[in-house]
Amino acid sequence: MHDIDDLERRGLPGVVVASDPFRDAAKAQSEALGLDVATAFTPHPVQDRTDAEMHAMADDVVDSVIAAITTAPSM
Amino acid sequence: MNDTKSTTREAEPPMGMMLLDPTSEIAPSGRSRAVRMASLEGLTVGLLDISKPRGNVFLDRLEDHLGRRGATVLRYAKPTFTKPAPADLRHEIASQCDAVIEALAD
Amino acid sequence: MTVDPGRIDELRARFSDSGLSSRRVEVGALEDEAEAMFDRGWTDGLPVVAPTKARVARMLDGTTRSPGDIVTLVPPSLVECTIEKVAVNAVMAGCRPEYLPVVLAALETICTDEFNMHGVLATTMGVGPVFVVNGPITQQIGMNAGINVLGHGNRANLTIGRAVQLVIRNVGGGQPGGIDRATHGSPAKLSFCFAEDEGGSPWTTLAEDRGFDRSTNVVTAFCGEAPRILVDQKSRSADSLLRSLASGLLSAVSPRTVLAMDGLLVISPEHMARFRDAGWDRARFMDELGAYLMVESDEILVGAGGIEEGLPESMGGLTLPKFRPGGLLVVHAGGPAGLFSAIVGGWLNGPMGSDPTSREITP
Repeated sequence: MHDIDDLERRGLPGVVVASDPFRDAAKAQSEALGLDVATAFTPHPVQDRTDAEMHAMADDVVDSVIAAITTAPSM
Repeated sequence: MNDTKSTTREAEPPMGMMLLDPTSEIAPSGRSRAVRMASLEGLTVGLLDISKPRGNVFLDRLEDHLGRRGATVLRYAKPTFTKPAPADLRHEIASQCDAVIEALAD
Repeated sequence: MTVDPGRIDELRARFSDSGLSSRRVEVGALEDEAEAMFDRGWTDGLPVVAPTKARVARMLDGTTRSPGDIVTLVPPSLVECTIEKVAVNAVMAGCRPEYLPVVLAALETICTDEFNMHGVLATTMGVGPVFVVNGPITQQIGMNAGINVLGHGNRANLTIGRAVQLVIRNVGGGQPGGIDRATHGSPAKLSFCFAEDEGGSPWTTLAEDRGFDRSTNVVTAFCGEAPRILVDQKSRSADSLLRSLASGLLSAVSPRTVLAMDGLLVISPEHMARFRDAGWDRARFMDELGAYLMVESDEILVGAGGIEEGLPESMGGLTLPKFRPGGLLVVHAGGPAGLFSAIVGGWLNGPMGSDPTSREITP
């Protein structure tokens, strides 16, 4: 979150991709930073997944990731 | 007296400093996000790997998707997910990219 | 528990109903609060003191007024500004609580039709409110009327002027580059506030000249640019020094402006000695000075001297005063050594511009 906050300050649109349980933490951190940092979420957990499962997670979240760093509507 | 003290300590917020807003409070207290482009076409997008296990597999796939949508992708990795990226890495990303995606926090 | 006043303020802010209603803004544990305040656009370009509840509560001890009382409508947004908001900004500026009544009076003075702070803020000319403080309070709170009076080093002078400007910026929304589009700006936009040296002057004070009693605490606001030094190290007679000062005053803002802009003359102790030795009081000084501030309009008409700026042809053949009646304010201040005085040029005066405005400072 701090990295994206810093890069947004430098003018770069940014997004943090995290797993579901981080929703509340991300919200709290955004309030503390004073910037509504863009986020996209994947299912949890991550570390025990197969490559195919990881790819499927990327396939599912890619549209909302792109929507977060462009003005393109999320599909 | 000791009890009172320990209660006092627990009541203290765990982090941060609380400030009183000096403005008229008409505008939100936060900052606004950087300006977004309409699409990825022609943009250079940085993928910042926070260096948690298996995040790279996810980012490889994301890179494929972004490439197909017309973006040029540059890959970065921070030394540890436990700390903010070093200033020179952030500067490198800011000077080379038009947008940035940080992943994958779990 | 020990009786540490700082600790008491902190506990009072945390546990009592402090009556403070400003929005709370939390700065993250990993954030530097000084940086966070810059990022939010709360500063004038210099660092500010973090306005914590404890500090604001302590600041409010400087006034008898309630935190929720409305002080005035602050331009450019013309939003209602409470005592509390002024206190928050006074903390950020670095004020001590005893300065707060001066900050409040200064703010009330400029947020009036006469002073027209909205116009002063929005003009492209590099002018800002210049505050002169008179009365016993200047010594009570340690304001400077002596060495470096218009410069640095005195907390009261600098932070009072700065607090007022932060209110305009933060509460009123008068951000440089936004409503404030001054071509050059001026140090007067950061902070320009000082006390008159009353004890060392043989004359009545500026506040007395403007109708107040000498025992009354008064702030006078003048819309002005940065100060300029008038050098005269040779004059030994009052008349010679007067002519010399007048020639400098005639060039204030532009030698081609008459009647349109006011001025503020800051006479130093060594220059004042010439007039004291000659037995001149304020009235005599103003009277004699006025005679040297008359301008032949033919010399400043459009095209005269090859300069296209000037008065219209229709105003030819007149003898006009540089300053309108009451348009030149004179105060005594500065260090004991130095044969210099200072002139602060003004801005458009009258109903279209800004009039010098005075107000009593109350607790």
